[in-house]
Amino acid sequence: MKAYNPDHIRNRAIRQQADRWQREGLLRADQLMTIRQSYPVLFRESNVFAEIGAFLFTCVAVGGAYALVILLMNGLVDNSISFGAFNALVSLGLVVLIYTLIRRYNFYRNGPDNALIVLAASFLLTAVNVVLPNDTALWFRCLLAVPILLAFAVYYGDVIVTFITLLAFYVGLFTGLLEFPWGRAALPFVLMAVSWGLWFLLKQVRIRVPDPIYYTDVFNMAEWIALIVLAAGGNYFVVRELNGLLAEVVPGQPHPGVAPQIGLAWLFWILTFLIPGMYAYLCFTRKDRMFVILGILGLAAAASTVRYYHALLPLSVHITLVGIALIGGSVLVIRYLRQPRYGFTDVPDEESPRQFFLNAEVLSVISATGATMNQQPDMKFGGGDFGGAGAGKEY
Amino acid sequence: MSPKEILNQLYQQGLLPDEQRQIIADVEARRPFSLHWELRSILYVGILFLSSGLGLLIYENYDNLGHLSILGGIGLLCISAYAYAWYVRPPWTPALTQSPSPFGDYALVLGCLLFLSVEGYAQYEYTIFGARYGLVTILPAVLFLGLAYRFDHRGVLGMGLTALMAWVGVTVRPLDLYLKTNFFDDRVIYSALALSGVVIGVAWLFQKQGIKPHFTFTYLLVIGNLLLVALLAGIFNVEKLRFLFAIGLAAACVAFDQYARREQSFLFGLMAAVYGYIGLSYLLYTYLHPDEYVFTFYLLISGGALVVYLLNAKSERAKE
Repeated sequence: MKAYNPDHIRNRAIRQQADRWQREGLLRADQLMTIRQSYPVLFRESNVFAEIGAFLFTCVAVGGAYALVILLMNGLVDNSISFGAFNALVSLGLVVLIYTLIRRYNFYRNGPDNALIVLAASFLLTAVNVVLPNDTALWFRCLLAVPILLAFAVYYGDVIVTFITLLAFYVGLFTGLLEFPWGRAALPFVLMAVSWGLWFLLKQVRIRVPDPIYYTDVFNMAEWIALIVLAAGGNYFVVRELNGLLAEVVPGQPHPGVAPQIGLAWLFWILTFLIPGMYAYLCFTRKDRMFVILGILGLAAAASTVRYYHALLPLSVHITLVGIALIGGSVLVIRYLRQPRYGFTDVPDEESPRQFFLNAEVLSVISATGATMNQQPDMKFGGGDFGGAGAGKEY
Repeated sequence: MSPKEILNQLYQQGLLPDEQRQIIADVEARRPFSLHWELRSILYVGILFLSSGLGLLIYENYDNLGHLSILGGIGLLCISAYAYAWYVRPPWTPALTQSPSPFGDYALVLGCLLFLSVEGYAQYEYTIFGARYGLVTILPAVLFLGLAYRFDHRGVLGMGLTALMAWVGVTVRPLDLYLKTNFFDDRVIYSALALSGVVIGVAWLFQKQGIKPHFTFTYLLVIGNLLLVALLAGIFNVEKLRFLFAIGLAAACVAFDQYARREQSFLFGLMAAVYGYIGLSYLLYTYLHPDEYVFTFYLLISGGALVVYLLNAKSERAKE
């Protein structure tokens, strides 16, 4: 059961790969033309910014329609059964609308269909949650939401729904465990074990599922989340601070300003480095971009954890030294990789979203400029004829 | 679907001869994994860390290190960064130019960020510009804009434009969203409008002349947002001239939409749609005082209309 035509999704992937080979001179132009003819794709093409806008305004339109109907049908909200039925009906209506968009107008993740999928899933969840008794526990609501959301994720192969599914799953697990007296202590271990299991399961399903390309984004998203939770579950900072937050405040005693030391601290210190270290190792053996990024960010987080509890240097010196280390390290590696070594290269490939990085760079330096110009104390710098650089509200 | 599977399928379909299949399979098997953007990102984060670390250091440690030694040290680093960037400079051409060195562009950004720290501290501690506060912001603006053109660097162009905005009194930090702007002041709105008019005019002129035409995107992204926010702020806050601001916003949105269609960069179409929609909704809500029924109906109709508009902008182009 798939909403979009899986053949065309596969054809699209074949075309993209063929385009790339043609750009690299591995295919002749006429060969590419033949391939394109043999693998038709009927999907609507749209620009990513148009899609973002269309997503946004679809939500506005559906929100307006939903509110209008509620206004017109007086007293609908008061009765939980009828309100639940109404939400289920809205969800069904949206599913039919998505079906029409896909079948008649060849929509394929063009914005409105993405938005409608998320909205349809949300309205169905609202329906279920309205009907449930008011005192239903959060963990139960979350775990009940998982199969519903999973059905949407499987049928549409949608990334956002996948994200919400995993969110519901982890929140359900988290709050469910806290119901037990031993839950708080077991929490990091359960989260790590479950994430590890989830990642392993995803790997298996990816191989066995009939149309893996239909679910490429879904699997990628799920793997990212599972591995991030796995690393966070073993991180000393996360475990200690979360444990401190969850600790019941003893009546009559002020809340401790610092999260208390945790049991098995040594184990978590090892895990803080071991798990990101594993990711970094896997990035060498598997050549997988996800592990490259997770390894780098994970090790950075591990180093920050050490700095948080055992600060040797003042922050400014620390940041400066980290900056020097990062610059030095990356410059060395860039120079080292002028020739490809160990299967790695510094030559950009087409996988990376070049334009995105350019824009991200521009945005981040602008932000840094703005921040630096605002940093100077107001006394001698701000004010003045032009309102000054430091005339922002918070100063 | 892995490249290998695709290759085999194309071969089985008779779309590829066997020799070519083997060549491509060989290329794919030996294709190295690119770390280009990951390494650039780390370098970039390092530069941001270093410059902000030093920026903090100046203000924290001046008692035990001495003002002049800190200022001198950072100034020296700043000059070395500029010197390195100049040493590996690309040749000057009006067209898009690639820097011959992988690090030149990054040294330039480091130099510019350090320059801001040095200049700000020099003014803070020694008031070298006295009470001429405008000079403190216009100096980096002019410097950065000049460097951006010489070195063909869009990031430094963005920094220069931000400094220009600071000069007219606008505080903008895009990554913090626009919530931190000071657009409640009439004078800021007029300065922002005047600045965006001048800058967009200059950008347009340069594009006509063929001088760094690829800069237009950055100009319109930075200054275009400034213009549209200023017009919206005018509609919100300057009641007596609201009508004029509304016409201005409408004209700007139409212009952005036309530009987006012509240049096929639909980011500007999205900007026109979002800012225009906010302005229109605000005006309708303020003057027509719709009840909740009309308002929700308006959301339904307008949202739907904009979806159709956004998705059809593309198909119109495809027909041409």
